[in-house]
Amino acid sequence: MSARQAEAGAPVRAAPRREITPGAALPLLGFLLLAALFPFLPLGSRAEFLLQIAFFTLVAGIMALSWDILARSGQVSLAHAAFYGLGAYGYALLLKAGLPWLLAMPVAALLAGGVSLILGAVTMRLSGMYFAIATLAFTEVVRTIIQNLPESVAGGATGLLVPALLGGNSRAQYALAWGLLAFTVLVSLAVRLTRLHFAFAAIRQGEETARVLGVSIVRFKLLAFFISSSLAALAGVLYAGKTFFINPLETFSLANSIAPLTTSIFGGLYTTLGPVLGATVLRVAEELLHNSVKDGYLVVYGLVLMLSILWLPRGLMGLRRNRKHGGDL
Amino acid sequence: MTAATTIGGTLSPASQGAEVLRAEGLSKRFGGLKAVQDVSFTHHQGEILAVIGPNGAGKTTLLNLLSGVYRPSAGRLHLMGRDVTDQPMEARCHAGLGRAFQIVRPFPEMTVHENVTVGALFGKPGQRLPEARERAWALLERTGLAAHADKAAHELTLLQDKRLEVARALATNPSVLLLDEVMAGLRPGEAQEAVALVRGVRESGVSVLFIEHIMPVVRDLADRVVVMDQGQVLAQGTYREVTADPRVVSAYLGTEEGLQA
Repeated sequence: MSARQAEAGAPVRAAPRREITPGAALPLLGFLLLAALFPFLPLGSRAEFLLQIAFFTLVAGIMALSWDILARSGQVSLAHAAFYGLGAYGYALLLKAGLPWLLAMPVAALLAGGVSLILGAVTMRLSGMYFAIATLAFTEVVRTIIQNLPESVAGGATGLLVPALLGGNSRAQYALAWGLLAFTVLVSLAVRLTRLHFAFAAIRQGEETARVLGVSIVRFKLLAFFISSSLAALAGVLYAGKTFFINPLETFSLANSIAPLTTSIFGGLYTTLGPVLGATVLRVAEELLHNSVKDGYLVVYGLVLMLSILWLPRGLMGLRRNRKHGGDL
Repeated sequence: MTAATTIGGTLSPASQGAEVLRAEGLSKRFGGLKAVQDVSFTHHQGEILAVIGPNGAGKTTLLNLLSGVYRPSAGRLHLMGRDVTDQPMEARCHAGLGRAFQIVRPFPEMTVHENVTVGALFGKPGQRLPEARERAWALLERTGLAAHADKAAHELTLLQDKRLEVARALATNPSVLLLDEVMAGLRPGEAQEAVALVRGVRESGVSVLFIEHIMPVVRDLADRVVVMDQGQVLAQGTYREVTADPRVVSAYLGTEEGLQA
């Protein structure tokens, strides 16, 4: 066969170097282990405060990772505040309706997932900036609807009281947030290691080519939306239960849509460890700066983010050498 | 080689394999421009069918109608006996249509092996990942790309990229493979390898429909030729028959040299 002869002399490898080995999961396991041990450290008199920061770091990790899962399918969304808010409000309203919290949590997540399918169907043919703008508009629509529901139902612009999660026990709350992050990590790994990875990556890297190769883009784009928004809603549930007061302006704020995006880019797009690590580094940096550079901390924060994106185009995950084409989780 | 053909006519029933693709009066208008007009032809099992014609004759538009990039303004398309005119690209792929693009379109962040795995995994419903990986390996062996399996697509030469296009399309397990000027940009030696590759595809039982500018390649490969000009079918038949047709000759610059080029 002439094709064979043409390649003679080239080294033949047994397997592509991107093949993911079980060892690739070690950094993730290490991270989860450290996060699990955090409450048992001697935190001293500021334990409550530190646990709260750690809690919201886990929430930011869930948000970033869920956003990344959607981005893997080429859908760069600015609607994550909407799903976060739908989770928070869905949870609060289900509690009001008398559901036990353990049931209200998954039901709120699935409801947000269901609503996301509407957005996904509408934006199916959009890409890039048009897609982003549509998702941004969607967030405003959801916020406006919630805000204009009768005040007796959703609290209107004033907001809604939410019963404290797990009786306000901050260690138990932290443990729950850790469990939900671990669950999100598992979902992310499942996406990465199954056929979903190939479908999402193909759609992202060439939608028309993917379709010619038989990838059913409608099914996979909607699936990405459903998975991503359900997980983001879980983060919203944690937020609602921790702050025990939610209002439309803060819950649906643009910052909640932007943060997962910057966090994932900073940590390393299309990976599981990257967004989680990015959330940790950025949240800790934000707190430290907040304490040391009182007034201008957002300026410094923004500069750090800009410079790191300039020098680390692949995010924190790009710091690892000899991994030119990935193989990371 | 199918013998009993006449210019602009149909094959005699005796020489026909089963029909894989049938276009009936396909037309495509872009505003006032009639890019493809009333094109009909039948592609048979195991046949290598060439579509030729001067620049702007509507060949690529026709290919886009076949693969589902465009919906026709009029006409029907049958694939493996099923009307797929209203089917989207992915459904046509599942029904047995494969396509390799003229401008290669590898997935840039995937390795060569992963590129082919996408085709093997989604080309037909219900494929599982481990089996798809295995089939991708087999196709890389067959197309001479096994040594480059773990490279990124941009590290390949043009010929290797074209092989990747073909390997990925074959991974979808098609009954018909559409090739859009696969020889474009190749050096003569490389073109010979590409010709051998296409022959190998047909020998594996896949019918091939290809667009080509290089006439010696058409002569060497095609069982039958469809000549297009200004969006319409000018002639159909064997290479010898269509090149002897005065209408075809005049469409190619009006000289016989046009066909030798």
